[in-house]
Amino acid sequence: MAADAIISCHAVAKSYWRGTLEIPVLQGLDLEIPRGGYYALMGPSGSGKTTLLNLIAGIDRPTGGTLEVCGYELNDLDDDQLAGWRSQHVGFIFQNYNLVPVLNAFENVELPLLLTGLSRRERREKVLEALALVNLTDRMENYPRQLSGGQEQRVAIARAIVTDPDLLVADEPTGALDAKNAEEVMALLERLNAELGKTILMVTHDPKAAHHARIQIHLEKGVLDRTVEVNR
Amino acid sequence: MKYFRLVLRSLFRSKRRTILTVLFLAVSVFLIATLQSILATLDGFANNPNASNRIAVRHKVSLTNMLPLRYADWIRQQSEVEGVMALQWFGGIYQDPSNFFPNFAADPEPIIRIFKEEITDYSEAEWRDFLRDRNGCIVGEALAKKYGWRVGDVIPLQGTIFPINPRLNLRGIYRSKRTTDEQAMYFHYKLLEEGVPFMKGRVGSFWVRAKHPDDVPRLIERIDRHFSDAAEPTLSETENAFQLAFLKMMGDLATIIHSITGAVLVAILIVSANTMAMAIRERTTEVAVFRAMGFTGSQMLGILMAEGILLALMGGLSGLGLAWLAAGALRTGVGTVIPWLTDFTIPVDTMLFCLHVTMGLGILSTFIPAYRVVRRPIVEGLRAL
Repeated sequence: MAADAIISCHAVAKSYWRGTLEIPVLQGLDLEIPRGGYYALMGPSGSGKTTLLNLIAGIDRPTGGTLEVCGYELNDLDDDQLAGWRSQHVGFIFQNYNLVPVLNAFENVELPLLLTGLSRRERREKVLEALALVNLTDRMENYPRQLSGGQEQRVAIARAIVTDPDLLVADEPTGALDAKNAEEVMALLERLNAELGKTILMVTHDPKAAHHARIQIHLEKGVLDRTVEVNR
Repeated sequence: MKYFRLVLRSLFRSKRRTILTVLFLAVSVFLIATLQSILATLDGFANNPNASNRIAVRHKVSLTNMLPLRYADWIRQQSEVEGVMALQWFGGIYQDPSNFFPNFAADPEPIIRIFKEEITDYSEAEWRDFLRDRNGCIVGEALAKKYGWRVGDVIPLQGTIFPINPRLNLRGIYRSKRTTDEQAMYFHYKLLEEGVPFMKGRVGSFWVRAKHPDDVPRLIERIDRHFSDAAEPTLSETENAFQLAFLKMMGDLATIIHSITGAVLVAILIVSANTMAMAIRERTTEVAVFRAMGFTGSQMLGILMAEGILLALMGGLSGLGLAWLAAGALRTGVGTVIPWLTDFTIPVDTMLFCLHVTMGLGILSTFIPAYRVVRRPIVEGLRAL
């Protein structure tokens, strides 16, 4: 593993079983991503990009190979340890935002901090800081239904960064947004990468969104097809 | 505590569903609490610790068959006996059939000795007046207050079992430790005996007071053995057993109430399980998102279980509140018709039973759907839109 790598995958394999039929999704994939990188995972449906993202984020387990992320060998962690690891090191951004509808923007962003030992005041400071970063301090009392799609995704980004994780994983973060909001969200992710040094790994079908990443990784049938550096 | 707001908000995600479920639980718990309390009240009546010295002696065939009054003489001679009293349920009506209260024709002298635990306070002068006046009667203070009677008033009773309508002079008002024990009226047995030819020298029951509770079984056995070959054989039993037999004339109330309670509990379980299953299944993705953020399976299980228990508690406490209010209404309403309910309340044991049961059902109905959703792999949960 390179000294500056935050993600290191070695011969990672993942298969699903449908009855007695094994369906291989990832087949011995090797990959290293340096700290502070901004990577887009691309490929056709079924190429294994979301599966790879889930394995790297520690919400799924490989059937073969090793994964070292943020300094931890994920295969060595049990379920609870893995949950603790995720709460400290990974921020999730989903296509459908997945905000809790009965909590307002402030409370949604505060959720991951409930797992920390921070006091209420400390949590409030961190939430306000995260909401300021996504420029939504004035909407913190609003519930998800009172926000636009773009605003909801920005709240979700604030929730992902509020614990100051090393790694942000985003699964089609602009998939449910119109072009204008998608552009705003991508600009925000770019800023988080450039200014805060967050490592971002994003799955996307959208070439425009992928263009914001610095490196595009193309998967094909569960293997690494090619890596493309984005020229801007 | 930091999760309480989350639990509360999640619980009211679907306000209508939650409110309807709480209402259902409240009505069910109200029903269980009230019925069980009625049973406890009647049980208390049939398990009166004050009655441990007392024996009821009646005709072996039935309560409506009479015994010769002379039996009292033999019973009184037994060394373990402290007192014997002829006692006859008169069943008279005061003004209107809805004005129900127990009224008895009784040997006057032994009344306060036999019922010394119930008649705890009285005026000696009033007592002497009662003994002197064959048309006299005594009543409990609660009963006197209910009808506004004062010493010296004439109380007309209309006989329903016996063909006489006595006009009784109220000579004394006694007090008891419990309002329930202040509901009865006693008048001279001689008045009944003289007014009703077929009651001459006969009575429905004897109330016997033993010197010691330990003497009661021996005394019961000896009385029944002595009169076993007589034309009117006796059936002696403790006062509590007698009261229980009397209550059983209303049917096997306990079985009915326990059956209703069981049916309501099953209904609660089904409705709660359905509500919680729906509420949790709807949130499969949300649970997966929480777990992705770092919440452990146990933490999620705890949060979901807390919702189920809180829902059950809200229903349970509302139901107990309703039952408590209803108990007050029963005391003042039904208590005037059924004197045993004048002290009606929801016992602490019943409250705890209801709370335990609702919480237990809350846990039971939540655990299975919560466990299933928490066990589901995160990636599957995220796809379950």
